[in-house]
Amino acid sequence: MDIKSAAVIGSGVMGSGIAAHLANAGIPVLLLDIVPPSAGESGDRSAVAKAALDRLLKAEPAAFMHKRNARLVTPGNIEDDLGALAGVDWIIEAVVENPAVKADLYRRIDAVRKPGSVVSSNTSTIPLAALVDGQSEAFRRDFLITHFFNPPRYMRLLELVTGPDTRTDAADALAAVCDRRLGKGVVRCNDRSGFIANRIGTFWIQSAVNAAMDLGLTVEEADAIVGRPMGIPKTGVFGLIDLVGLDLMPYIARSLLATLPPDDAYRALHREPELFTRMIAEGFTGRKGKGGFYRINKAGGGKVKEAIDLATGAYRPSGKAQLASIDAARDGLPALVAHPDKGGRYARRVLLETLSYAAGLVPEIAGDIVAVDEAMRLGYNWKHGPFELIDRLGADWLAAALDEAGQPVPDLLRRATGRSFYRVTEGRLRYLTVDGDHAEVTRPEGVLLLADVKRATKPVARNASASLWDIGDGVLCLEFTSKMNALDTDIMAMAERAAGLIGDGRGAWKALVVHNEGDNFSVGANLGLALFALNIALWPEIEAMAERGQQTYKALKYAPFPVVGAPSGMALGGGCEILLHCDHVQAHTETYMGLVEVGVGLLPGWGGCKELLTRHMADTKRPGGPMPAIAAAFETISTARVAKSAFEARDLKFLRPGDGITMNRDRLLADAKAKALELAAGYTPPEPVALRLPGPTARLALELAVEGFRATGKATPHDVVVSGAVATVLSGGDTDITRELGEDDLLALERRHFMALLHTPGTVARVEHMLTTGKPLRN
Amino acid sequence: MPIYKAPLDDVRFLLTDLFDAGDLATLPGHEEHTPDLIDAVLTEGARLCEELLHPLNRSGDEEGCHLANGVVTTPGGFREAYAAYREGGWTGLSADPAYGGQGLPHTVQFILEEFVCAANLSFGMYPGLSHGAYAALHRWGSPALKDLYLPKIVDGTWSGTMCLTEPHCGTDLGLLRTRAVPQDDGSYAITGTKIFISAGEHDLTENILHLVLARLPDAPAGVKGISLFLVPKVLPDADGRPGARNGVTCGAIEHKMGIKASSTCVMNFDDATGWLIGEPHKGMRAMFTMMNSARLGVAIQGLGLAEASYQNAVAYARDRLQGRSVSGTKAPEKAADPIIVHPDVRRNLLTMRAFIEGARALSVWVGMAIDRAERHPDPEARQEADDLVALLTPVVKAYFTDAGFEATNLGLQVFGGHGYIREHGMEQYVRDARIAQIYEGANGIQALDLVGRKMPQHMGRLLRRFFHPVAAFIAETMDDDALAAFVPPLAKAFAKLQQATALIAQKGQKNPDEAAAAASDYLRLFALVALGFMWARMARTAHARLAAGEGDAAFLTMKLRTGRFYMAKLLPQTDALFRTILAGAEPLMDVEADAF
Repeated sequence: MDIKSAAVIGSGVMGSGIAAHLANAGIPVLLLDIVPPSAGESGDRSAVAKAALDRLLKAEPAAFMHKRNARLVTPGNIEDDLGALAGVDWIIEAVVENPAVKADLYRRIDAVRKPGSVVSSNTSTIPLAALVDGQSEAFRRDFLITHFFNPPRYMRLLELVTGPDTRTDAADALAAVCDRRLGKGVVRCNDRSGFIANRIGTFWIQSAVNAAMDLGLTVEEADAIVGRPMGIPKTGVFGLIDLVGLDLMPYIARSLLATLPPDDAYRALHREPELFTRMIAEGFTGRKGKGGFYRINKAGGGKVKEAIDLATGAYRPSGKAQLASIDAARDGLPALVAHPDKGGRYARRVLLETLSYAAGLVPEIAGDIVAVDEAMRLGYNWKHGPFELIDRLGADWLAAALDEAGQPVPDLLRRATGRSFYRVTEGRLRYLTVDGDHAEVTRPEGVLLLADVKRATKPVARNASASLWDIGDGVLCLEFTSKMNALDTDIMAMAERAAGLIGDGRGAWKALVVHNEGDNFSVGANLGLALFALNIALWPEIEAMAERGQQTYKALKYAPFPVVGAPSGMALGGGCEILLHCDHVQAHTETYMGLVEVGVGLLPGWGGCKELLTRHMADTKRPGGPMPAIAAAFETISTARVAKSAFEARDLKFLRPGDGITMNRDRLLADAKAKALELAAGYTPPEPVALRLPGPTARLALELAVEGFRATGKATPHDVVVSGAVATVLSGGDTDITRELGEDDLLALERRHFMALLHTPGTVARVEHMLTTGKPLRN
Repeated sequence: MPIYKAPLDDVRFLLTDLFDAGDLATLPGHEEHTPDLIDAVLTEGARLCEELLHPLNRSGDEEGCHLANGVVTTPGGFREAYAAYREGGWTGLSADPAYGGQGLPHTVQFILEEFVCAANLSFGMYPGLSHGAYAALHRWGSPALKDLYLPKIVDGTWSGTMCLTEPHCGTDLGLLRTRAVPQDDGSYAITGTKIFISAGEHDLTENILHLVLARLPDAPAGVKGISLFLVPKVLPDADGRPGARNGVTCGAIEHKMGIKASSTCVMNFDDATGWLIGEPHKGMRAMFTMMNSARLGVAIQGLGLAEASYQNAVAYARDRLQGRSVSGTKAPEKAADPIIVHPDVRRNLLTMRAFIEGARALSVWVGMAIDRAERHPDPEARQEADDLVALLTPVVKAYFTDAGFEATNLGLQVFGGHGYIREHGMEQYVRDARIAQIYEGANGIQALDLVGRKMPQHMGRLLRRFFHPVAAFIAETMDDDALAAFVPPLAKAFAKLQQATALIAQKGQKNPDEAAAAASDYLRLFALVALGFMWARMARTAHARLAAGEGDAAFLTMKLRTGRFYMAKLLPQTDALFRTILAGAEPLMDVEADAF
């Protein structure tokens, strides 16, 4: 079964976000909502859905991976356009969480939809059994729950729930679409209230709120404990509530309470603090409201971050949480829960409650612990799922702590005592099944994870900042392992090592893939190192570092074997430049490429100027003369443009038309490896670069434009200096159109102006500012 | 009887030729402090040191201080000398005019301190400590405290101390126990014992203001729980007249190796009344305000004593007839040649002189940076100067006092057995110089401060304030043939310093023992390069003036020769230090503690 088109009914935040993401996958989608009562006979009867589409286009972070995707979304209304549902393969219901409203809608859908089409609900709390109650048999067979997380483009979890009547082939087909085309991590859940992620997540939020209030922690302290130390995003609990909206909490709670089993531990835990009720009533519902547990107080023209005092409900200036237990947490979770201060006691209580709750839910809500951990990782952005967290603390410790507290120890936890939920044997990750055995964690076909490779083998080579892995079939993978995957000489050395090992590509190794599973592919060169070297005036060494990077990247480009880059997340500066030198890039859709060096007062000095310029010059569609190509590269570099998706990267020529895009991150490495093997057969390296550039005349034109920006205040004084250097390099320096410049000429030009910029106080100030504040300096 | 003449010629060279003292007069508040005025002040200060303080140095050492019935008596002549010093306005030389000071630049104060220390270090301790107390009170004290106490301390009728050390804690102040209990009237009752308190009790002033570090009842443990208090010996009335005696007594004075005329006291605080300076628990910060200038002051003690020792060693080497020059008789009319003909005596003398003049230049450079950091109108320039001072403070404190001590030893050596006996005063310089390596942060601690705090701060931003001017100077002068004896050696040593810096930063991140093990060698390497930089700059200036036919040719020629000696004979120590640093921590750390 193929999904060629779809419809989403309900254009709220979730429905419209899902529609946008279907469009991102290239699926045309109808977005339907009610006819506004105010429309009357003459008004726009599709105004609700149209407004939603307008909101999507302005959403931050962007809902569409490319603006043109919006054209795939057709807004309409469920009165006039219901008939159009007959033409779509997949209908997604995302209307208000009201069983009666949904039941009525389903009957209307069922009347018009084409036979064999699939209908799914995005409900987050209503069990499937209740939804299909009273629906036709055909409907029940074609119905399932596909529960997306907000925002649908970015949150990787998709909970998939089927009923006893659901067609297996329909469920499998939809799971495949969600996985491959939408890029989701599909987790199959049992038909239980809240499924997996919200069932555990809501419990965790409640536990963390209760304990913070009972133990007298400030919101900052609570968030600093149930955040980073637990591998949970730094928003912790109160920051998270501000993000999702405090006003949603009572709804979620009520719907859970309505359907949870009578003896569920959440019932005893549930509280609605008076403070929260008051905050909701007064509109302090979080970031979308007048502020929440945190707010930025702009009164008096200032910008003061404030937090609520949980005891008095009054705002006060927010400060960094300072607890000895937060420092102790650096030694691991056991050190945190063992710490005697209130932070340690808080961590202990929240973990005890949450983890024992989770341990008691398997197999009720999911077939195995792997699904539960995956759901919490992908749906709540936890670094470790609950069972992984238990392993960090020790199953024995948790069981003993529960015993000590006089609380029941769940069966599954009891089975894990004396061992762990996960273990690695013979290089394979295994998990504890509900039967008490350890079974291998299997990956879907077409999924290759570097983490699995790393468990199964030893690196072919390794140094402080990079490793080489054998990913099978003669393909090596270069992995960055430095902090933030910052590029340094160790990484260059490892790339050179890879080139040495692969040689002519006819021995044991055929190809190289550059890939890692970090949050970001690489945010660029290690600026801290560079700044320190700059501060002690190690100019020759800095220039040598610049040249080393140039030569390494050039060697990869012209190596007698194919090099495939496989990035995900940010690929900035030097991280972008290495990709520009690859024969092929297989990019995850959520790859953010950019040559952002000007932000720190520099220019791309590892061949970035050269490569981007070469691509623009090679574009046969551009109008005559080199100037438009130079101007285009100049604009991209001098404004530090960052592509917000792999599709945008194509527009900016960071990716070539032939470069691939993979929607599901877990499939990225396998796709890249396949491409590398395909290229390896009969591989020939690219032709050397040879460009004819106009020199000073082009530079003057570009500088004139920058002066204009300067005059209107759009460019700062140091922008002019940095842009001037970029303009000089891109126009070829002191060349003229009769001379042909080779690769090394352009690299020497980059290097010279890179070093010249490093000698300017403005650049030093920018680098320093970036490193100390994390923000660019506009000097 | 030793001789001493304040080195005014060299100071003038630094202030007018090498650096532009006129720059000081461009700083807000120093408009009237023209080079002429500064010269006049220093000339007068030099006279005071030579004629008033220097003659008391030997007698003060012989006589020492005496404690009887809780009263400390300073050696004969000190009271009169202090009165003259005070009446001359020297106690308030660089102090705020709002409180009766003369508001001169710190640079001038530091130069004067060199003269004072060279003439009589023990005497210098009394106004020196007062100045530290003044600085902390001026920066952090409440208006009421400042109005009541500052005028007295500025005009020298009252003096000050810094009470940090306790019997069980010196370097690690986090351990300190002295308690401060809040009283109903806003004051505090201070109880505890402080030791090694310089100028803690004496007969030079009618009142003594103790700045005491103590803990409040609710204080957190460690250095974050220390507050600073002002505890006067005698409680003044509202008009500032001395009133009742406070619960502060001197329990004993120490019997020391040197600076015997400086009273080093055990101070007992018994429910003594005190007032908080600055915020609660922020005492370390308040104390550290004066640390940079106090440490530079101690550095200058090493410099001053080296100068005094040098002057006497030169005079002796010219006079003393002993043996004949190995290359042939130089003074046939005499029974023997003066020992100054011998290469090894020259080595001693030039080693002293090259250190002294290089260090003096560096101290003036840092002093001027302190003035810029305080008064420059551009905040960035202030920050830059402040960074440079913070970076160089441990370097000058440790190196000037180590090399100063070595220099006084070389001076003694020139005298042979006559240096070892007390008569010529050369051994007193050695003894007096020894303490400067220890107090105000022992030199090992200075080295840790340099590699552990100053080096990594802001990703090496502090380093930039020194490394960039040196790199720029080298780039600018590398091809100047006239400076061929200066710039290439400096460039070579500087490259070693750069490499060592990168190496320590890198290794220290992975293993702090590596940085700590390299610290003292690194500090010395740093200091040698810093002096090398000063010498290369002095050489350039001397050359230019000689070429232009300006200045005292003999003085400038000697400057070049001393500089060449430094570059050729002292700066190469950087090579050995670099190798020592490369050897890492292992040779130190793989010895079991029990095996020592």
